[in-house]
Amino acid sequence: MCLAIPMQVVAIQGGSDELLDPEVALVESDGVRKQIRLEMADRVPAVGEYVIIHAGFAIRTLTEEEAEYNLSLMRQMAEVLEREGRLPEAPQ
Amino acid sequence: MPKSQVVSIHPVTRIEGQARVDIHLDESGRVSDARVAISALRGFEQFVIGRPAEEIPRIVSRICGICPWMHHLAAVKAVDGCFGAVPPPTGQLLRELCQVIAHIHDKILHFFFLAAPDFVLGPDGDYSVRNIMGLVRQEPELAARVARMRQLGQAMLARFAGKSIHPVAGVAGGFSKPMLETERRELAADALVLLDFASFALDYAKRSVFSRFREELQSLGAITTGFLGAVDAQGNLRLYDGLLRLMRPDGSWVDFPASDYERHLAEQVEPWSYAKMVYAKSWGEGFSLNPAAPMGVYRVNTLARLNVCDQVATPRAQAELEDFRAQFGRPAQGTLLYHWARLIELVYACERTVELLADERITDPLVRTPAESKAGRGIGHVEAPRGTLIHDYSTDDNGCITRANLIVGTTHNIAPMNLSVRQAAASLICDGEVSESILNRIEMAIRAYDP
Repeated sequence: MCLAIPMQVVAIQGGSDELLDPEVALVESDGVRKQIRLEMADRVPAVGEYVIIHAGFAIRTLTEEEAEYNLSLMRQMAEVLEREGRLPEAPQ
Repeated sequence: MPKSQVVSIHPVTRIEGQARVDIHLDESGRVSDARVAISALRGFEQFVIGRPAEEIPRIVSRICGICPWMHHLAAVKAVDGCFGAVPPPTGQLLRELCQVIAHIHDKILHFFFLAAPDFVLGPDGDYSVRNIMGLVRQEPELAARVARMRQLGQAMLARFAGKSIHPVAGVAGGFSKPMLETERRELAADALVLLDFASFALDYAKRSVFSRFREELQSLGAITTGFLGAVDAQGNLRLYDGLLRLMRPDGSWVDFPASDYERHLAEQVEPWSYAKMVYAKSWGEGFSLNPAAPMGVYRVNTLARLNVCDQVATPRAQAELEDFRAQFGRPAQGTLLYHWARLIELVYACERTVELLADERITDPLVRTPAESKAGRGIGHVEAPRGTLIHDYSTDDNGCITRANLIVGTTHNIAPMNLSVRQAAASLICDGEVSESILNRIEMAIRAYDP
């Protein structure tokens, strides 16, 4: 739960009513598209920016540059595990 | 004759990420086992080796971005320890201020967005409406107020400590900038708004939410465990610092500094779980998840902190703690009581924010003492929304990391979460019948822990 993997926003949908039809972000990861609620985010992201998701809600918005730096840190982390032959499997 | 089977809840609807629940049923359709697998942070400890220690507080907040402030501050405290740096009082107060404000935002998210829909709309509700939008339709005024409050804490942090996305304000030896009097006044006004909201939220929950679930609060996922949290020397609830207090299921306890954690807690990896588990080594009974006789199992997070403290040092939260104890005793064991405890902590976090901003030392310009890179060991602890968070680093002569160990809040709660899910599943499922409503209730037992 703790890893804050940034997901890229491919579209913003809704927005006709602040309460009843709030804006939501469509994000894509591994070819799977998913709607993400933005009520708890610091701001509405632009298409191409990234969001950090917790329990189905975007909690923070990242610019592309910030997200790429974060992703590079995570890739380095995965490489260390891989070198040590400890890259974990998904939960069984 | 029906065969044994496994029912999986994956992903648990609002417990996103890599959580997965498997419920094993035997030939007669009774629950033979139930397991929660949760992926937690792995690899960070190897990744940081060789890096300059003062970089870690800035890196960890990018990787552990769900609770960036908690990791940032636990890391900065661990670096203080490695370098033997002692922050001036105002440096500590400013760090604590950022931490309690971050708690406020997290608790509003959890209660109103993740937990309240179950309660307000009922666990039998259709999932398509049993979410925040269902809540908005049923309680539009409340939802509008939550919407106004939802970002206030984040905005407060951003205004004072720079962008809240990746905290960098804590530094070895203290805090990176002093607070101006104008900033203090503005933040103090916002803090009062949040405190009003917190009091309203708890009143609302007690009146309209918890009162409808009296039985479930005590029974759903109920297990008997010990508890771990932090207190000051007088036994008051603490979030930013303090002694760790490890309470046994019978309510007796031992206090120890976080730097002694390895004498009391031990970590274990079960083959079926992706994350390590932690148990109370100092009880001398080992570790067992046998539901009939669990051993070494304790819980962290809101309910644990309210159970271990003798009292809360702020008046509204203290009055609420007294009311809570009068109803549920000490230690309270009901798993859904985590939600109630979470709202009492929300009141405390708001009161503590007001208190810190009224402390005349908060605008003192001396916020940092020089810290020199050197060899040492530092153990940083804060109470994060999800429980006791420990960062333990060792450095070499150049101040680079040679060893790191992290225990994150959710890790402590994985063992009790497994017991709670097993209990909930066993009490709800008979004859192999697993309805949506039953799965929703099992989810509620997990959601209380806010994994």
